[in-house]
Amino acid sequence: MMRKLYLSSTVMFWIAVAALWGTADAPSKPAIASPPPAEQPAPSGRYTTRDVARHALPKDCWMIIRGEVYDLSSYIPDHPADPAVMLPWCGREASEAYRTKGTGRAHSAYADRQLARYRIGTLKAP
Amino acid sequence: MTWRRGLAPAICIALPVASMAWAWPDGLPPWRGGAILSAWAGTGLLLASLILAVRTPGVANRLGGVATLDRWHHLSGSLAYLLLLIHPLALAINGLDESPLVAWQTLSPTDQTWPEWLGWLALLLLMAGLAGSFGPRLDYRPWRALHWLLVGGVLLGLAHIYALLGNTMPVMLVIGASILTLGWRLIISDLGWQAIPYRVESISHCADRSIELTLAPCARRLSARPGQFVLAAFGDGPHFQACGEFHPFTLSAIEDRGRLRIAIKALGRCTRRLQALEAGVVVRLQGPFGEPVVPTTQPRLWIAGGIGITPFMAILRNETCGPPTCLIHLFRSPYEAPFLDELEARSGQHGFEYRPVSTGECIPDLAALLDTFTDLPMRIVHLCGPPALIDSAHAALLARGVAPGAIHSDRFDFR
Repeated sequence: MMRKLYLSSTVMFWIAVAALWGTADAPSKPAIASPPPAEQPAPSGRYTTRDVARHALPKDCWMIIRGEVYDLSSYIPDHPADPAVMLPWCGREASEAYRTKGTGRAHSAYADRQLARYRIGTLKAP
Repeated sequence: MTWRRGLAPAICIALPVASMAWAWPDGLPPWRGGAILSAWAGTGLLLASLILAVRTPGVANRLGGVATLDRWHHLSGSLAYLLLLIHPLALAINGLDESPLVAWQTLSPTDQTWPEWLGWLALLLLMAGLAGSFGPRLDYRPWRALHWLLVGGVLLGLAHIYALLGNTMPVMLVIGASILTLGWRLIISDLGWQAIPYRVESISHCADRSIELTLAPCARRLSARPGQFVLAAFGDGPHFQACGEFHPFTLSAIEDRGRLRIAIKALGRCTRRLQALEAGVVVRLQGPFGEPVVPTTQPRLWIAGGIGITPFMAILRNETCGPPTCLIHLFRSPYEAPFLDELEARSGQHGFEYRPVSTGECIPDLAALLDTFTDLPMRIVHLCGPPALIDSAHAALLARGVAPGAIHSDRFDFR
């Protein structure tokens, strides 16, 4: 029984990987039309550190990373490591924390691309 | 001993449950939550599998015997693999919500860096290592080499966890426990750190391609009983070069002054080389393992295939007066039947009946053999031999009304 389980699960795994690879070029799902949130920030907004500091809660978490401002509120639950590691950086300059992850290891290129999706603007001088 | 058999399954349940409880996702999308849970359940099961791979006599006896450990080691390892396969797929499926491209980028090694590559490499090593266990039956050496890939997979998997999650307490506990267990298995079991030295006192040929050794303790003795087996690693002799590995051998006699006898049939590379063994060679023993035969007053039926006769020899040689016993001994030809002369000489004495069956290259007709017994459901049955024989005999006995609890078996697939 274990042999059958091993063989079938291995074959199904590679079929699933191949299917995901094969559909990678397929168009994205059409976005469901919904009204923008009341305080939806402009994607190319310019924010001061004081603006960012007003968003220092887990459900309203902005960060400054390499001069850009990101709204990571919706991403925090998805973070691979314990989301709690991100919370101290909400509302703050977090470039060094992002660069080193607190352990001297950089984030992956995939993480960089993911991060870009949460960009809401750039930092301006106070 | 019965309640101890429950300890191995309890470990296999407790560790993944505890791991999942610690990592329980709160408010995550279902596929992402599932990915996290499958990863931690798989990690918990891998740790359980490692613990159950430690085969010191103390651990084995406390956890219900080496056969129980072996069964749950394989089961937990296989289920861990299955859960770890789900982990990357569930992460990718979670990305489908956004786009198929994001889903693929979650999996694609070219879109990742080394912490994710470690995870991929760990999974591939587990896949290759398990192919050695579930593919065609391999000789011991290649099988063992493939098993080392599993160890590599576990270590890389732990590195993957550490790289992603850092040095939090539960992560370090899992890593520490896994490394300790692996080290324990390597030093105590594989290198035989606590093995007891014996010396080969005499060698006799008990059949074609089979020898029986008498081993005398150099100092400390093993306290063994009939029905048990030892792991033995032979040293080199003046004209003999050993394999240096521990292999299991069932005791064929337990004699005075701590002497033990084991029978060795040339079945693989190492046991073929052992046919040229010389007296005086030092052999290191670990054990004893396995459940000793429990004394009974009920009539017994023993079924042995080939060299599977060995535990029954130990019982016969150490028993002065036993209940009525019939021994069915299946072998290809009388030349290959170990202890044939001795067993024929014992037949008819003290209620012992010996039924040798030369099968040639044919599959033995177990049904016809068992149908000659009118009192099968009253008998305690012991089986020892190749897995195919054990499985078919087990099914035939159940079909004839023998209670499952009355059937005891030793399979030859332990490595």
